[in-house]
Amino acid sequence: MSEALIDALNPALFWEYRLVLLRGLAFNAYVFFAAATVALVVGLAAALLRVNRAWPFRMLGTLHVEVFRNAPDYIMVIWVHFVLPLLLGKLIGQRIEFSPFVSAVIALGFVYSGYFAETFRAGIQSIPQGHLDAGRACGMGETAILWRIVLPQVVRRMLPEAVNQFVSLFKATTIVSLIAVPDLMYQVSMVTQQEMRPLPLYTGAAVTYFVVIYVVAGSVRGLSERWRNKIYA
Amino acid sequence: MDAVPAIRVVDLRKSFGALEVLRGVSFDVHRGSVVSMIGASGSGKSTLLRCINRLERPSAGEVFIDGEPMGGPVTASGERKERPLKDINRMRRDLGMVFQQFNLWPHMTVIGNVIEAPLRVRRMSRKDAIQLAEECLARVHLSEKGKEYPARLSGGQMQRVAIARALAMQPKAMLFDEPTSSLDPELTDEVLTVMRELAADGTTMIVVTHEMAFARDASDRVLFLHNGQIEEEGPPDQVFGQPRSERCRQFLSKKLQ
Ligand SMILES: Nc1ncnc2c1ncn2[C@@H]1O[C@H](COP(=O)(O)OP(=O)(O)OP(=O)(O)O)[C@@H](O)[C@H]1O
Ligand SMILES: [Mg+2]
Repeated sequence: MSEALIDALNPALFWEYRLVLLRGLAFNAYVFFAAATVALVVGLAAALLRVNRAWPFRMLGTLHVEVFRNAPDYIMVIWVHFVLPLLLGKLIGQRIEFSPFVSAVIALGFVYSGYFAETFRAGIQSIPQGHLDAGRACGMGETAILWRIVLPQVVRRMLPEAVNQFVSLFKATTIVSLIAVPDLMYQVSMVTQQEMRPLPLYTGAAVTYFVVIYVVAGSVRGLSERWRNKIYA
Repeated sequence: MDAVPAIRVVDLRKSFGALEVLRGVSFDVHRGSVVSMIGASGSGKSTLLRCINRLERPSAGEVFIDGEPMGGPVTASGERKERPLKDINRMRRDLGMVFQQFNLWPHMTVIGNVIEAPLRVRRMSRKDAIQLAEECLARVHLSEKGKEYPARLSGGQMQRVAIARALAMQPKAMLFDEPTSSLDPELTDEVLTVMRELAADGTTMIVVTHEMAFARDASDRVLFLHNGQIEEEGPPDQVFGQPRSERCRQFLSKKLQ
């Protein structure tokens, strides 16, 4: 390798700014956890609509899934941050502004709720009718059946797919730098502007994301496999 | 014979769309007695059991549990007031049900399956529920399996857990829908043995079965269902010895050969 290349890749600069960058990574984590919560709650609600007996509910659920699954997350982030507050503001006749963090969480949460809704729905529909009948025959109410019999099995079934979706969501958190959420990518570009040395910084960021996702997703997969194996022996 | 039967079925009818599956079925099950229900596939046996605990809503007719109408009391004006689901759930506790496919909840251990309804439905304390579950598991000879997950049990063991789960409701009667039909022949005996013991203990039972030996020597009455109606009914000696109905005779001769 040439001297110039080694020099260009020298991670010393990355290391020097490690605290700033780590704070950025923490922001990725905040956005991730908040958006994942929104995605799970909204996704479950949409899935329950989709398996409802009444067709208007089913249609509403389908509409939700199709809209959000087919919306590019980049556009959604921009739209929620710049357009939605205007619309809402006109609606209530008052100026509204979302903080970048809130916009990012709403946008990514809703986009991913579309994916999670489908995963939940497939999971719910894969539970044998007999399991529900057994609960009813024991005098359990529909809510108890949902929480005690259906969802615990759905969660175990959907885990492998959900882990993949969480990985995508985590990757998607990097686009929030677009609306100035101070995440890792945002910090990297700030430092780059200052130091004029994009190579080690962006490479360092790429390696960091890779390592974090690889390690965390890997261990979650391992844990969930062991947990699932107990019931699908 | 006591005045109020444990289960009274009166002119029960059920259609799925244009398909009339039950066409006016009436019978009584007295406390402590065992009624076996036999009949060809598609004759409506499962539907009848499911109408009794209202997993299916009957199109007409009524089921009385200890004299209480499952569908709802008739008002002074002669209309039947449909019971809210909450009331139906309360009445369902009095009927334990055992399914052909076991329907154990795979994410719960054996003991977890058995304590679920006592905990959530009867609102027992965990300690009491576990004690009750252990008694029920002892009755099906599975005391040592409490901590296993269903996936690690044999079919016969799973079905016995399902029986324990139903017993844990301390029901007034047990409904069995072909409990041994999805078991390998060598596993049916352990389940039938448990059922015979329950019968001998005075459990009120309705048993849908293709096990003619069980119907003949473990039950007090046998019903032969054909096309959604009771075609033949009587004590086992009579139904197996001198059936009046030609169809019943044919059915039995095919089963017993
Ligand atoms: N939910 C349903 N919707 C439509 N048709 C049904 C439904 N459940 C049962 N049937 C029909 O009702 C008829 C009686 O079914 P049922 O399961 O009660 O018969 P069975 O006597 O239990 O038969 P088997 O011995 O095969 O279990 C069958 O023709 C079946 O296809
Ligand atoms: Mg059947």
